[in-house]
Amino acid sequence: LCATGRYHRFHLFNQVLPSPCPRQVRSYYVDWRMLRDVKRRKMAYEHADERLRINAIRKNSILPRELQEVADKEIAALPRDSCPVRIRNRCVLTSRPRGVKRRWRLSRIVFRHFADHAQMSGVQRAMW
Amino acid sequence: STSSLLSTDKDKSAATKDSTHEGASKRQEDGAETPKQQLLDIIGNMKVEVSYRNKLQQLKASESQKQAMNKLEGPDSEGFVPQGTTEETQRGKPLNPELVKAASAVASSLPRNKKQTESELLAQLRRHEETTDKQKKGGAIKIRNVISEMTVKRQTPAQRGARISGRISLQLDEDGQRIRPERSSAQSVDSRRYYCCVHFQSLKVGKRLNIFTKASTEPEHALKTVSSPTIWDLEFAKEVAAVTAQPPRNGFEEMIQWTKEGILWEFPIDNEVGMEDDAEFHEHIFLEKHLEGFPKEGPIRHFMELVICGLSKNPYLSVQQKVEHIEWFQKYFEEKKELLQE
Repeated sequence: LCATGRYHRFHLFNQVLPSPCPRQVRSYYVDWRMLRDVKRRKMAYEHADERLRINAIRKNSILPRELQEVADKEIAALPRDSCPVRIRNRCVLTSRPRGVKRRWRLSRIVFRHFADHAQMSGVQRAMW
Repeated sequence: STSSLLSTDKDKSAATKDSTHEGASKRQEDGAETPKQQLLDIIGNMKVEVSYRNKLQQLKASESQKQAMNKLEGPDSEGFVPQGTTEETQRGKPLNPELVKAASAVASSLPRNKKQTESELLAQLRRHEETTDKQKKGGAIKIRNVISEMTVKRQTPAQRGARISGRISLQLDEDGQRIRPERSSAQSVDSRRYYCCVHFQSLKVGKRLNIFTKASTEPEHALKTVSSPTIWDLEFAKEVAAVTAQPPRNGFEEMIQWTKEGILWEFPIDNEVGMEDDAEFHEHIFLEKHLEGFPKEGPIRHFMELVICGLSKNPYLSVQQKVEHIEWFQKYFEEKKELLQE
């Protein structure tokens, strides 16, 4: 499985692994969509606390309604990529958005490929 | 009573004076069998091989007994003391006068040839003094010597029968002297007593191994005035490690490598690896003291108390994080105060 294309402008998000590494080295993200997903995940992590607290004020029956409306406006003012809803669990190797098994973070095709080559630990063809 | 006294004395002084007795017995070739037999019986009756210090203590204890006897014997015992002193001065190494007296007392208690036994005992004592001095100075180490002098004998009752026959030809090193077949026959009767004999004397005699001496680390620390290693040193060290790293020879080495890299956890598994929460439980649960900046009544207080209740039940946050949480709310509500007062 080789990458579909190599994109060189990932200077912000370049992963440089140390050279003596016998394992598979992926030094670029597979495509731009994957890169955008990575950005969204990082931003969501940064703003997670704030969002939690503002939401605690919003989803409340004790505090006055004015406060909650103010909190609504505040949370809408946060950057759009900071919300976790925009994160898509893509396949880690092919960036496929659909058919991804969460446990392995792989799309069904990649999973099947590795499982048939006996490179997935504990995975066997089902037969009953 | 005299025989019993004799046996007790010889028990106490037996091991150290083994060679002396044997020496005495050697020179008494013209003598009858009875002293030899006595000696052999005594050696056979030996139950415990006591260390040298204990023997000294016992000698001193026996000395007080013997002094009473000496007073009864009168001039005989007193004649030996100057002999001992002359021998001392000849050798040049001063022995403990108490030891000398004890030696003379023991010699006097023996039935035959008191002068010779006395001299033998003193010679033995002197030899021991020399070895202890050598030990203190710490001579060169030769494992061969140590092992050759060490004898660890363990016997199971099953092996006793087999060993008795083999005993006669055994060469046991006790103070460098060989055991005679007669001796072994006397010993075989009491073989069960030799359960775990490491001959204590042979531990002290000979050259020191210096395995357990304290490594002197203080001068090394004093010399270390270099600052923390530079980046180039670290890089060099990494290069060297990468070049010299051999592929793992077996599964164990592979697992060791993985543990170092962080792929494999360290066993037994510690659930709190990476978590260094030094705070006590009360700092996690009783968070009301952080609520001082809030108004004491009203919906905000109600809200904050709920927040605190939730935080106290949260095991995943550290105390620092919880405090920051509450402070954020405080700041937020202070900013919104103008709005609230409308």
